[in-house]
Amino acid sequence: MRVTNSVPRAGALRIALAMIVAFGVAIAHSSTSFAQDSSVASGIVVGVEVDDSGNLTRFALSDSTGTVTTFDLSFETKYGLENQAGDRWVSSQGEESAEAARRLRDHQERFAPITVSFANGVASSVVEREEGKLETNLGYLFAVFGITWALFFAYVLYMGTKQQVLQHEIAKLKSTLG
Amino acid sequence: MFKVLNLLDPLLVLSAALMGVTLYLIFQWVPTELNQGAVQRILYFHVPVAWGSMLGIFVVSGSSFMYLWKKNEKWDRLAVASAEVGVVFGGLMLLTGMIWARPVWAVWWTGEAKLTTALILFFIYVAYLMFRAYFPPGGQRQRLAAIIGVIGAIDTPIIYFAANLWSQAHPPIVTGPAADAESTLGSDLGMVLLASTLAFTFIFIYLVQTRYKIRKSEDDLVELKRTSTSSSMPAGAN
Repeated sequence: MRVTNSVPRAGALRIALAMIVAFGVAIAHSSTSFAQDSSVASGIVVGVEVDDSGNLTRFALSDSTGTVTTFDLSFETKYGLENQAGDRWVSSQGEESAEAARRLRDHQERFAPITVSFANGVASSVVEREEGKLETNLGYLFAVFGITWALFFAYVLYMGTKQQVLQHEIAKLKSTLG
Repeated sequence: MFKVLNLLDPLLVLSAALMGVTLYLIFQWVPTELNQGAVQRILYFHVPVAWGSMLGIFVVSGSSFMYLWKKNEKWDRLAVASAEVGVVFGGLMLLTGMIWARPVWAVWWTGEAKLTTALILFFIYVAYLMFRAYFPPGGQRQRLAAIIGVIGAIDTPIIYFAANLWSQAHPPIVTGPAADAESTLGSDLGMVLLASTLAFTFIFIYLVQTRYKIRKSEDDLVELKRTSTSSSMPAGAN
């Protein structure tokens, strides 16, 4: 009889590999749209476009549902953005569009959320995030809660089954050996 | 299955009781954080499982070192048990972090220092278990696995200090020696975080203990099979 030492093989490795696949799928997933209506959007800056002189021409925002919206700008677009230290900078596209580009890039790097008021795809104001949709994102909380307990339960189930099989085999061998 | 797992295990009862209190604190007692809203409550799961995954690699490393030193099988069993539970906690750390990041950062993942080093920790666990699963059984496998286990722990302090070393998007450290003096630990949020960490630590210990017993049964089975093989061999056979 060939003796093998079965360690945490299939179960744990399958779980680990499934997580790696899920991780890859999540990274690959994204969605994009363009601003059309008159409204307010809150989210994270995910793209900043400038002209040859470094002046801000467009920027893209991703909201809490993952929808990416691209905003055009006008000379009247107002800015009210804070740096990491909390100092507020107030200006407009007509006055300091290059500085606006720099500030939005800073927000992009820091993942600092902003709120954009817009009409027909053109931003009228870009400010630090005001009350957005984050407070109602209970689905994410439920997902974490569900996944955590499902995974723990699955692992305990896996261990219980494994222990049962082992005990059965040990009992069988002991009876064979007398 | 439940008979085998012993639902009256004091550790399991204590873990369940603590988790019950923690869930009450998370969903009923603690106020909603002003900036992030409800999704901030994800951190009461994310931080404790991240702590569990780091605790796991410390146990793997410590018991691997003890195995290399004492050559006692019990340390090897403890390392395997801790690595397997560590991979579960490590996977949860990544998944809960990604789900939190989606509404707050608007991305599932970014090449941020803390996230990248945490992912490396998960891969260290997977590599350790894959090595044990596919390398031929014997003393050499246990020795090499122990060396991987000891080296793997180097990643842990890097993860812990990553948010301070490379100041990027990840929130700063809120617990331990490198925590910001103005962290939220003195508040209600900090108390819930500590309670949750304690509850998940007990769950971690319970799972490692259960997995250790299974590993012991596996070793017993191998020994019995060996005895059975030698007793059934004809005299003079090698």
